[in-house]
Amino acid sequence: MDLKNKVLDNPNVIDNNQLINLSFTVNEEKYEIQTLPTEKLINILRDQLNFVGTKISCGIGRCGACSIFIDNELANSCLVMAYQVQGKSITTIEGLGGVTIDEVQEAFLNEGGFQCGYCTSGMIMSVKYLLAINPDPTDSEIQEALSGNLCRCTGYGGIIRAVKSLKNKKELA
Amino acid sequence: MNTNINVKKDRVRPDGVSKVTGTLKYLTDLTFPNMLYGKILRSSYPHAKILSINTEEAEKLSGVEAVITYKDVPGMNRFGLIIPDQPVLCDERVRYMGDAVAAVAATSFEIAEHALKLIKVEYEELPIIDTPEKALQPDAVRLHPAGNICHRASFTNGDVTKAFEECEVIVEETYEVPRQLHGYMETEGGVVIPERDGGITVYAATQHGFKDRFQLSRILGIPESMIRIISSPIGGSFGGKDELNIQPYAALLALKTNCPVKIHNTREESIRASLKRHPMKITAKTGTDRFGKILAHQVKITADKGAYATLGPAILDFAVEHAAGPYIIPNIDTQGISVYTNNGVAGEFRGFGGNQITFALEGQMNRLADVLNIDPIKIREVNLRKATDLGPLAHRIAPTDGAALVLNKIKNIVETSNEPKSKNEWKRYGTGIAIAMHGGGLGFGRLDSAGGRISLNKEGQIEISFGFEECGQGLLSVIENLVLEEIGCSQEDIKIVIGDTSVVPVSGSSTASRGTSIVWQSLQKMKAPFKKKICEHVATKLSLQMEDLYLGANGVWKIGKEDGPCMTYKDCAKEIQDATILTSFHFPVTPDAVDGGHFLYSFGGIKIDVEVDILTGKVKVLSMDHVVSAGPVVSPKGFRGQIEGGAVMSLGYTLMEEVKMIDSQYVTHNFDSYLMPNTVDVPFETNVYAIEELYKGDIYGPRGVGEISTIAITPAIVKAIHDAVGCWITKLPISSEEILKDVESRGMLTWI
Repeated sequence: MDLKNKVLDNPNVIDNNQLINLSFTVNEEKYEIQTLPTEKLINILRDQLNFVGTKISCGIGRCGACSIFIDNELANSCLVMAYQVQGKSITTIEGLGGVTIDEVQEAFLNEGGFQCGYCTSGMIMSVKYLLAINPDPTDSEIQEALSGNLCRCTGYGGIIRAVKSLKNKKELA
Repeated sequence: MNTNINVKKDRVRPDGVSKVTGTLKYLTDLTFPNMLYGKILRSSYPHAKILSINTEEAEKLSGVEAVITYKDVPGMNRFGLIIPDQPVLCDERVRYMGDAVAAVAATSFEIAEHALKLIKVEYEELPIIDTPEKALQPDAVRLHPAGNICHRASFTNGDVTKAFEECEVIVEETYEVPRQLHGYMETEGGVVIPERDGGITVYAATQHGFKDRFQLSRILGIPESMIRIISSPIGGSFGGKDELNIQPYAALLALKTNCPVKIHNTREESIRASLKRHPMKITAKTGTDRFGKILAHQVKITADKGAYATLGPAILDFAVEHAAGPYIIPNIDTQGISVYTNNGVAGEFRGFGGNQITFALEGQMNRLADVLNIDPIKIREVNLRKATDLGPLAHRIAPTDGAALVLNKIKNIVETSNEPKSKNEWKRYGTGIAIAMHGGGLGFGRLDSAGGRISLNKEGQIEISFGFEECGQGLLSVIENLVLEEIGCSQEDIKIVIGDTSVVPVSGSSTASRGTSIVWQSLQKMKAPFKKKICEHVATKLSLQMEDLYLGANGVWKIGKEDGPCMTYKDCAKEIQDATILTSFHFPVTPDAVDGGHFLYSFGGIKIDVEVDILTGKVKVLSMDHVVSAGPVVSPKGFRGQIEGGAVMSLGYTLMEEVKMIDSQYVTHNFDSYLMPNTVDVPFETNVYAIEELYKGDIYGPRGVGEISTIAITPAIVKAIHDAVGCWITKLPISSEEILKDVESRGMLTWI
């Protein structure tokens, strides 16, 4: 979507001066775009930059489908506005593995940590974050860390097994 | 977390890598050049006359390309899978808050949304009917021309009145269940593209592409051949995307603007318009002799249909059919009624009426066991069906001893597990069990077409195709695993084609736990002729004996020659003109003309431990032990996932979920007020046991397991709560206040 369209996007906005130049990186690639300062990050990612691996489900920060990292901190991208990511570094699901599959993604594959897959991008980001700050989580730490990510398909069994398999792998190493 | 299924042996599912890397494109992720964005204006009132609709201002808004109302529907302005009673765009009257009145296509979602605000609709409010009881009053406003009764269903056998007189014990109770949200993470949406010939291509989730095509053809007034439906992959459905949702609006707008039109519901829009699980009130009166043998069972079911029918009639039939479950009851009288109201439309949802009726049936069993002071397992044993007994509508079914096998295993689990012990003076612990029987397929008297196609395509791949959708349930794994097993080729040789009406054969709907059954049965019919076609060619070509050849990895192999195929599939494909085998059959159905009666049943049992906090009334499920009898496990991880996931969905139904309505208006709009289980609400201790053997002589193979694990959860939790604190719950979701009140009234809180 180009800038011209973007201005039209909100008919209540007539003042072009409201647009800001936003400069940030997504998955280590630099982007400079013009946008409204209040545009939601999820819309920028999905609609403007076509990072559609990040999903939108509730739009109010309750389901975690849109989870991403901002400067390595976990965030719901539906609750973040454009101006808040000025100069920041964003990581989406597309930025996790690169050429090979990340170990968390691998664990989800092996343990059946997903079914429809729509919560999976966000869930994997949360697991990644949990293990980054706490490589050896207890059961209740796993529960708490993932409680902001809803999954309607798995009942969380496969997800929990995926996290535990990574934990066990570390213990064996 | 234990299971007897060999999960580690399982392959990664075919859609796995694309899902964990976020590269899979869902239909709501798609964009096309010149694409417009659509929004739908829904009714402002649950019940009103439409006096006028003025779209002038909206049309003038810069960026708006089209505004449509009922005047723009060229064909039949109605939809609905059984009774097409729902207007695509309302003309004279709205019957619920989700009714569509107009739709807009614009250059952005924001402009489209703004345009909705500029559409002026004048309404004259009508009295609302917000309960089935009000709808059934003789002087109630008629919501539809034929009145307020959508459907009646009943089953009677023997004489309950007389039998009740002979009963030693009679238990009577009314069970109330709420409106549950499917809660698929991907809300309804997709893109419709206008084609040069005046037709359309629809990229939108549905559970039966051909049915969408049929319904859209009626609405648009164009032949089905001009409509292509691409319906897969889907970010969850659970029955909720079976009926049309945004498709007609995107289609009408695309044809009017001649541009691709995308609609993707926000969660609020989704909750307002989507189907929900039927709220029901079920009164059950059940009597036994002194040994617990049921002599009489009388059931009255009242379902709140909401404004329109969709599959409601079939759901009521299903509930009536399953009123006796796996028990042999000599005198039974089940009466069901499904009633139109101005509430949200209730419709198809995983379990299909089985969840509601089994809450009542197993609730009665557990209460009777309590009154008679018999073990809950014993009372079930006394009444349980035998392998060759008739089905619940006194109709012939495929013989199965699943009920007994499941109950035995549950008994064994109960006997060998430790009773949960209290670690805290304010916590109480209890155990509950329940079992369920669940029919697969659509049932007698319904067109239940099944089939599939296998071919060797030009690229030398074994192409296997079904008219199914991948909603997350793992159908792709099921297909891959069965092709590997039945054909003998390798994973790399297979190409799976589903979810596109322009290329798939008729397989029927991706619903009713029928997918796995149909894939297996289709392969049984197709594998021999397919192998023969290919091997015949190779035998002639290489002057070999047909009997010495078999299909293996990468090509046709000769017995005894293990160094590689004697002809690769690629080479075969160059030479064989057509190695396509198509099969088409009807889903196995009872030979008895009993409307809706099923033939293939699966069985499930559950043992649940709970902790009840008597200071707060909160219930926590500590462990779940599942036993499922549904034939051989085809896809181990998929099977386990279906059982665990279905159970947690029902845990939510039992303990926390309700899409609340007040005066026929939703007061639940999003996941802030609609709570679904998260990781904190589910037990880490979940065990899944599969009973894989089928009854001797069974020729129907593995059954689907999409629904069975959701059925018996509620009554097991309710029994566990009774075991813990002594109160019987009759209404869902279970209220902490109600438990507290009961606990207080019986003096369990010692300071009071």
